[in-house]
Amino acid sequence: MIHFNNVSKYYATKQGRHYVLKNVDLALPTDRNIAVLGPNGVGKSTLIRMLGGADFPNKGQIVSNQKISWPLGLQGGLQGSMSARENVRFVARIHGYKNTQKIEQQVDDFAEIGKFFDEPVKTYSSGMKARVAFGLTMAFDFDFDVLLVDELGAVGDANFRCKSEALLKEKYEKTKLIMVSHSMGELRKNCQAGLVIINQDLRFHTDIESAIKEYEEHYVATS
Amino acid sequence: MQDTVHALLMREIKTRFGADRLGYFWAIAEPVAQASVMAVIFTLLGRSSVAGIPVAIFLFVGILPFKFFGKLIPQIGAAIDANKALFTYRQVTAIDPIITRILIEAVTFIVVYVLIFTAMAWLGFDVFPDDLLALLAACFLLLNLAVGLGLLLCCAVTYWPDAAKLFAMVMTPMFFISGILYCATMIPEQYWYLFSWNPIFHLIELSRDAFFVSYKTPIGDWYFVSFVALSSLSIGLMTFRINRHRFTN
Repeated sequence: MIHFNNVSKYYATKQGRHYVLKNVDLALPTDRNIAVLGPNGVGKSTLIRMLGGADFPNKGQIVSNQKISWPLGLQGGLQGSMSARENVRFVARIHGYKNTQKIEQQVDDFAEIGKFFDEPVKTYSSGMKARVAFGLTMAFDFDFDVLLVDELGAVGDANFRCKSEALLKEKYEKTKLIMVSHSMGELRKNCQAGLVIINQDLRFHTDIESAIKEYEEHYVATS
Repeated sequence: MQDTVHALLMREIKTRFGADRLGYFWAIAEPVAQASVMAVIFTLLGRSSVAGIPVAIFLFVGILPFKFFGKLIPQIGAAIDANKALFTYRQVTAIDPIITRILIEAVTFIVVYVLIFTAMAWLGFDVFPDDLLALLAACFLLLNLAVGLGLLLCCAVTYWPDAAKLFAMVMTPMFFISGILYCATMIPEQYWYLFSWNPIFHLIELSRDAFFVSYKTPIGDWYFVSFVALSSLSIGLMTFRINRHRFTN
């Protein structure tokens, strides 16, 4: 379980505080894959970042005894001025690995971006970034209980999608996903439950279909 | 924490000093060259020495800590921004890049200091400080002062990005009023009040007092600089703690 205890998160804007979440109390089960639904700018990425410990609530706390991954997405995670290899080394080092060569090789093999592996990440296309970010997360031999994925699939080509799905299945049998995506097809395929962000609150649905239904009723204008 | 600082160290050293070994050379050569050029100019100008202290040594004791101070503060100020993407990993917290940069600058300072004075010794100067402990204390207080101000700058740039430019503007006149090219005994006594507010002036005076047994500083006050330095550090740390949310987004 992931527990939200009276969590509030806001951003300071010129017109005052913009709340993303306000006084959220929730216990999120971690025994199934969860889709996070909401329109752009409603706070999906912020939620994922807070779950991954990359950002913090302004009030309240998020506690869990599960091993939760870092947010796996296109923004953040890779420092633009460093090459993919240096980023991989960095992540291996903060996890206490002394010899980083094996992990570097694994990510290099998975990403298949050739000589760009040693070029700064800021020169990459978003697809290349996705390959490195995904390969990096998969290269470690510790297992996460929950993997946070923030719209990573959208930019990959068919080959990358096949490879990443196969790798996920094989390596992460026990791992559950918390996933942001705007592709309902992808969410239906991967997730059993849904979490909709409405009115600065989180609404959990045990069934993905009912979550999609609420999302569409609330946000999608039918014309 | 050790793992994170180690990882950040390797990452910072690589971007700072370049990928090749020559980078380390430049890290040392740049401050050495700056200080040496100034020392040579003033020696050639034929400035008379103070209390029997050679001009070059007199200048180095002032220039090196001042350069350290002027370098460390903007480095801390920019530490968060330069590593922003890496906060994605929960192991990396806001203070880690700060600690990393303090380590890099402090070690560079010590290496440059020792290197210059070793070279001076080789040239035949008497370079061993008369009161090493007091000199180290002055350097330590300078470090505290700089870290405190650096943390404040780090918070200030999240509200107002131009704060770093303002700091650079302030540092230029500071060079001339911090007693680097002169010492207190060269200033008429009635003007001492113009300098006695400046903790860097005190620290450089105290360093010279510690370095040369023949020089007794009339202004340098350990209580005053200790108070300013420790206040700076504690206010800096508090401000940093209060603003920690601002660094992650």
